Amino acid sequence: MKTAVYFCNCGTNISDKINPEKVEDAVKKKNGDVIFKTFGFLCSEEGKEFLRKDIIDNAVDAVVIPACSPRDHEKTFMNVLSAAGVNPYMMQMVNIREQIAWVTEDGEKAAAKAVRYINAAISRVNLQEPLEKKEIDISPDAVIVGAGPAGLKAALSLAEAGRKVTVVEKSPTIGGLPVRYEEIFPNMECGPCMLEPIMGEALHGDASGNIEFLTLSEIEDAVGSYGNFTVKIKRSPRYVDTEKCIGCAECIAPCPVSFKNPFNCGINDRKAIDFSFAGALPNVPYVNAGVCLRFNGRGGTGGGSCRLCIDACPVGEEVFNFGEKEEILERNAGSIILATGSALYDCSKVPSLGYGKIPDVYNGIEFERILASNGPTEGNIRTSAGEEPQSFAIVHCVGSLDKNHKDYCSGICCEYAFKFNHIIRNKIPSAKIYHLYKEMVIPGKESGSLYRHAAEDKNTVFIRVSDINGMTITEENGRKVFSVKDACGSVGGIETGGIRSGVGGAGERNETGGEIESGEKISVDAVILCPAVVPGEDMDRLAGILETAKDKNGFFEELHGRTDAGRSKIKGVYLAGSCHSPMDIKEAMNEGMAAAGYVLSGLVAGKKLSIDPISAAVEQERCSGCKVCIGVCPYKAISFDEEKEASFVNELLCQGCGTCAAACPSSAIKANGFTDGEIFAEIGIMLS
Amino acid sequence: MKNSASIMENMPDSGSNIEEAKKTEVFEPRIIGFLCNWCSYAGADKAGAAQKHYSPNVSVIKVMCSGRIDPQFILDAFRKGADGVMILACHPGDCHYKEGNYRAVQRHRLLLRLLKQFGIEEERCRFDYVSAGEGDRFVSVINETVEAVKKLGPLKNY
Repeated sequence: MKTAVYFCNCGTNISDKINPEKVEDAVKKKNGDVIFKTFGFLCSEEGKEFLRKDIIDNAVDAVVIPACSPRDHEKTFMNVLSAAGVNPYMMQMVNIREQIAWVTEDGEKAAAKAVRYINAAISRVNLQEPLEKKEIDISPDAVIVGAGPAGLKAALSLAEAGRKVTVVEKSPTIGGLPVRYEEIFPNMECGPCMLEPIMGEALHGDASGNIEFLTLSEIEDAVGSYGNFTVKIKRSPRYVDTEKCIGCAECIAPCPVSFKNPFNCGINDRKAIDFSFAGALPNVPYVNAGVCLRFNGRGGTGGGSCRLCIDACPVGEEVFNFGEKEEILERNAGSIILATGSALYDCSKVPSLGYGKIPDVYNGIEFERILASNGPTEGNIRTSAGEEPQSFAIVHCVGSLDKNHKDYCSGICCEYAFKFNHIIRNKIPSAKIYHLYKEMVIPGKESGSLYRHAAEDKNTVFIRVSDINGMTITEENGRKVFSVKDACGSVGGIETGGIRSGVGGAGERNETGGEIESGEKISVDAVILCPAVVPGEDMDRLAGILETAKDKNGFFEELHGRTDAGRSKIKGVYLAGSCHSPMDIKEAMNEGMAAAGYVLSGLVAGKKLSIDPISAAVEQERCSGCKVCIGVCPYKAISFDEEKEASFVNELLCQGCGTCAAACPSSAIKANGFTDGEIFAEIGIMLS
Repeated sequence: MKNSASIMENMPDSGSNIEEAKKTEVFEPRIIGFLCNWCSYAGADKAGAAQKHYSPNVSVIKVMCSGRIDPQFILDAFRKGADGVMILACHPGDCHYKEGNYRAVQRHRLLLRLLKQFGIEEERCRFDYVSAGEGDRFVSVINETVEAVKKLGPLKNY
C-alpha cells in the first residue's frame, strides 16, 4: 500500500507553529517509504488540483492530510480522492490546526504532537478498507396516520407534489377535532368553514386522485424500514358504499335504534345509521353494527331483517352492503407520517372538581360540542335542568403544571377559554363568568384580542388560584359552589390593575365593585374545565407497532426537540401535530407541511437512497446470540436472525455510532470506519 | 521512556534526549483522550478557534460517539503506557445518537471498579462532558486532568 502525507501549511496558520520540515523528517524516519508533501493551502482550487494529480501520479492508495479540523474540509478532500479514483474512505485527516498549532504554546511540543498524530493516522489509514456507499430503491409514497389538520395538510402537500398518499383514519370522518368546533381561536373563524376547503380539496380537488382516504381504519402492522415500509391496515366495515351514497340522509329518520353519539361526547343520541355530525366528511353515514337491528335481530339470532334504511334510500339497495367484512389492506410506502392528534386529560382524575359526578361540569371538548350549531344542543347552552345558565366558572390549568398530574402547560387552554368567554358573552349577554387559573399563557401576536375582550368585560372576573387541582367544587341546590380560599390573587377588570400575582391578593376590588374575599364562596350554574392536552388513546398501540419511542408524558418522542421535532426516533417515521406535543391548529398545519417536506426531500421518485458506509456490521460466525447489541442500539437497527442464531444490522437504519460494537462481548460487530483494529493502532502509535 | 518533553520523544533513537529529560525530572504524562465527534471533538475545535493554549499531553482519538468507546480501548491504552485516559462525551440529553453517552458513563463506572483492582487510580481515568460550544471547558478539563495525573506521577508498569 502506498501512503502519502499531504501537509497543509494553511497559509502560515500551521507552519508558523509547526515546522513542516522537522515533521517531515520525523515522519519519514518512522514510516520509511511514505510520501510526504507540503502545500500552502490544500483546500484552495490549486491545492485540490495538486492533491488530485499527485495522488494519480504516484498511484497513492491511502492519504493522510494534516491540516484543519475534519469538520472543516474532510468532505472537500474526500471528493478529491474520489476525483483521483481513490476510495474516499482511504483517508485520515489530522487536525493539527485547531487541536495542535492553535492551542499549543511551545512550537517544539506542537511539532512532536503533530508527528505523533500523523504517525498514528498513517498506521490507521493502512488498516482502513475502502468503503462503498450502497444504494437502494425506494418508494416515494407515504402513509399518513390521522386525518386531522396536520394529516390533511401533509396529505394535500404531498399529493400536490405528485406523491401517492394513503390516509388512515380510525374514525368515520376526516378533519380531526377542530372540525367539530363552532369557532376557532384567535380570530373566531368557523371551524368547519376553515377546514372544509382543505378537506374538499383533499377529497375532490386536482390532486385528490393521489390521496386515498381509509376511514374506520387502523394500522395493524408495519414491517420494513425507511424507503420501503409495508403497512398493514385494518379497515372496519361502514356498510354504506362511499361511492354510491349521495349523502341525502333519508335513511336516518326511519332507523328505529339509537345510541350515545361519541362525536358529541355522549351528550345526545344518534341512530344506528347516521352521520357523526351534520357536515361530517366523507358525506356518507355509517352503521354501528353494535346496535343495528340487522346485526342484533329480535329473537337473538343476530340476523335481523330490518330494512327501514334500505327502503328509505332513493338510490337503492346497492348502496348498502351489510355483508361487508373487516378487511386487511396492505400499502407500500417509503415514509410514514404520524398525525394522530391528542386528547384531553381525564378530569375525573382530579375528583375534587366534580367532573363526571356533578351535572353541568364539562370538559373543553364537551363544551365545544355544546356551542356547536351541529352539536347535541344545536348551540344552545342549557343546564341539565333545561335552563339557560347565568353564571360560569371556566377553570384553566386542570391537571396541568402539577407534578401529581401533568407537569407541563399545554399552551392552548387559555386561548380557548377566552374563546368560550367570547361565545358565552354573545349568547348570554348578562352571564357572569369567572376564570380560575394558575398561570395565564396567551402566546402569539393574534391572541391578545380575545384575552382583552375578557379582561375588559365588566362581568368577567379573573381569580388566580395557587392550587387549581386542590380546589373543591360541590353541588348545593343545583348550583356549583367553590371557595376562593385557595386564591393567591384575584382581580376583576383589567382597569383595576391587570392580572395580579402574589400571595394574599384576595380581597382585590374588581371592576363591578364586588369584592372577593379570601374564603368567599362563589356559586355558578355551569363549570367548564380546561384540562391538560395528553396523548391520544391509541398511541401506545401504534408506538408498539412502529417501535417509535414515547416521551415521559406519553407523546411520541422527537428525534430532537428543537432541531428535528418533526422526526421520530425511527428513520422515515415523521411526527406532525399534537401527537408529539400539545399545539394549536396553526402549528399542526405547519407541522403537516413540514412532515411533507421531510418526505419530499428525503425520498425522490427514481432516485436511489444512498446509505452512509460508516455503519456497523455483525460478523455472524462470531456472534454468540446474546442480543446485547439489540438492547443498546438507539435506532432499532439490529435484529436477530433466528435461523442463523445471530444478530444482523439494517444498514439503512444504522447511524454509525458504534455503541453496539463496544457492547458486543464477542467482538463480533465491526464499526466501519472505526474498527477495533484501527483504534488499537492509533492508541499504540500515540503512546509509542 | 515517558519523561521527555522534547520533539524527539517518539523517536526510537532519541536516547540522549531522554537521558537529558530524566535529569531535569520533569514528568510529562501521556494521556489518551477519546472524544466523540459531535460534542467534545467540536468543543476541542472551539478551543482551537479561540486559540486557547492548553497542555499538549493529551493525544486525541476521535470516535463517532462516546458509546463506541470499548473499555478494552482504555485498558489497552494503560497497557501500552498511558498515564491517564479521558473520555469526553456530549452532555446528558445532548447525544447525537440519543443515548450513547449514557452507555459510555455506565461503562466508565464499571471500569473504574476494575481499574481499582489493578491499582490504577480513579483520577487517571476521567469521564466528563464537553459540549460543542464549551471551548473553555474543554481547556480546563484537559488542564485539570493533566495536573491531576502529574500529581500522581507515572503509572507504574504492571
